[in-house]
Amino acid sequence: MTTFYVLDVPENVSVATVAGQGPDVTVARVGPYFEISAPGAIVVDRRATGCRHAVWYSCVAGLRGARVTQQDKDALRVEPV
Amino acid sequence: MAVHRIGLVVPSSNVTVETEMPALLARHPDASFSFHSSRMRMTAVSPAQLRAMNAQRERCVLELGDAGPEAILYACLVALMAGGPGEHQRVEAAVAEQLATGGSEARVRSSAGALVEALRGLGARRVALVMPYTRPLAEQVVAYLEAEGLTVADWRALEVADNAEVGCIPGDRVMAAARELDLSAVDALVLSCCVQMPSLSLVEPAEQEFGIPVLSAATAGAYSLLRALGLPVDLPGAGSLLRADRVPVPA
Amino acid sequence: MSELPHRVRGVDHVAYPTFDPAGTVRFYRDVLGFPVVHSICAAGWGPERHPDFIHFFFDIGNGDRLAFFYYFGLEPFGGGPQGDAYSRFAEDVPVYFIRSRHLAIHVDSEEDLLEYRRRLDGSEWPVEMQIQHETIESIYTHDPNGYMIEITRALRPVTPQEDLDAALTIDALVDVVSGPDPSMAALLTRKAELIVERAAAWEEQHAARATAEQASVPEVARP
Repeated sequence: MTTFYVLDVPENVSVATVAGQGPDVTVARVGPYFEISAPGAIVVDRRATGCRHAVWYSCVAGLRGARVTQQDKDALRVEPV
Repeated sequence: MAVHRIGLVVPSSNVTVETEMPALLARHPDASFSFHSSRMRMTAVSPAQLRAMNAQRERCVLELGDAGPEAILYACLVALMAGGPGEHQRVEAAVAEQLATGGSEARVRSSAGALVEALRGLGARRVALVMPYTRPLAEQVVAYLEAEGLTVADWRALEVADNAEVGCIPGDRVMAAARELDLSAVDALVLSCCVQMPSLSLVEPAEQEFGIPVLSAATAGAYSLLRALGLPVDLPGAGSLLRADRVPVPA
Repeated sequence: MSELPHRVRGVDHVAYPTFDPAGTVRFYRDVLGFPVVHSICAAGWGPERHPDFIHFFFDIGNGDRLAFFYYFGLEPFGGGPQGDAYSRFAEDVPVYFIRSRHLAIHVDSEEDLLEYRRRLDGSEWPVEMQIQHETIESIYTHDPNGYMIEITRALRPVTPQEDLDAALTIDALVDVVSGPDPSMAALLTRKAELIVERAAAWEEQHAARATAEQASVPEVARP
C-alpha cells in the first residue's frame, strides 16, 4: 500500500478531495489528518486543487510505504517504496 | 589594602558633598576610599534648573564610568524628589543600566534613595526634617517621603534658593530650626535633608541634645554606600545610624 | 512534550549594530513611524575596551523593541561582498542562506500590511517582495544596514491541529537528524509513524477538552 498523510486545515482540504478522486484511492482519517491510500501510485493534479505555491509544497505530512517521486507545479506523485 | 573608588554626581555649585563624604568615610576603621566627582550645572534650586541639571546626568555617568568606580552616588536629593514618588528607583535603574551596558559593575545609589534606606535601617516611621529649600520644593520632599510610607511629623524649610548660599548656611541656624520642631513621638530627625546644607558637625551633638537618632543626607549617603559595598557600617562621631555594625566592646 | 511552565512574555528587545545611525533613524522612525523609546550613552568600561557608543531603541509594537548599537569611529569589518552590517559573506554563499536570518514584525490586518507597504514604497527602501505563504502574507525589504525586515499578517488563526503537526514534525526531525542519513523522505516516513501513534489519541483528548471548556462556560457566565 501507498499511504500519505495530509493535515486537515482549510488550505489542504482540496488536496485530499482531488487525491480521493483517483482510481482505487481511499481517504480515511487518523486524528486531524487525512490518510490517503492506494495499492499503487497516487497522483494529484495541482491545478485541480487550486493550491497556492506555498501550500502545495508543504501539504505532505507523512509517508508510509511510499515516496514522493514528483512534486512540482503540475502534480504530486506518490509511489510505493 | 584596596582603595574603594567612589563616584559622585554633584550639582556644580555643591561644595558640601565633596567635603562631608570624604570626611565621613575617612573614619572607617578598615577601608579606605577615593572620591571622583562629575558636575551638573546648577546654581539656583528651582524646578527649571533641577530639570536642566538632570538632563546632564548621562554625561556625568559617562565621565565617572571612565574612572572605574566601585559605587556611584547621585548626590542631589531634591532633584530626584522633585521628580515625584519613586524617582530615585527610576534614576538609579537608568544609571545602573547605562553603566552595565558599557560593562561597568559599579553599584548605583542616590542621596534620595539613601535617605529612605537609612530611615528604614533605623526602623524610623515618624520623622522630622530641616531643609534649606523654598516652600514648594520642601513640600515635594515631604510628599516624597510620605509616599515611601514615612510620616513627616514636623518640618522646617529655610527657604534659601541660591545653592551657593545653601552651602554657607551656618550651623546655629540649622540647630535653631531643629529646636523649633515638635519632636514628640518622632523616631528620627533629619538635620540636613539636603547634601549641600552643611551639618556633619551637628549630627552627633544634636543626637545628644534631642535624645533620638539624628541623620543627614550625608550620613545617609555614607550608610548606603557602605551597605552597597558590603562594608561594615562603623563610623564614629556622626550619629547612631553610622554605628549600626559596631562590635560592642566587652564591659 | 515539555511540561515546564511557560512564563516568558515575548521579545524585550533584539539588538543589531549599525554603521549608519542617521539612515537607521530615517528608516525606522521617519519612514515606518516606529517611535524612538529609549537610548543609552555608554563607553567600554568592562574588561574588553571598546569605543564610546549609543544604544537606541525603537518601539515595534506590543511593547517589544528593536535596538541598535552605534560605535563612534568604528569601521565596518570585511568578510565578503554579500551580507549586512553585522555579517559579511563570501560570493559563493547562497542568498537563501543569507536571508534565512531576518526579523518579522506582526500586523493585524491586510489594511495594516498595505499601510506599511505604502510607507516603504514611498521611501528609499521600497518593498522588494510581497508573498502569500501557507497561512501568512508578508512584505520584505532590507533596512539601511542590509538587515532583512519582514512585515507579516496571519491569513487565518492558527488551528490546534497545526500545533500537533508542528510537534510531530519536530519530534521526527530530531529523530531523523540523530540518524545516519537525514532527508525529507526520512522525516516524512518517521512522521507518518508518529501520526499513526499519536494523532487519533490527540483528537480524542482535544475533543474532550473542547467539550469541557464548553461545559464550563455557563459556570463562568452565572451571575
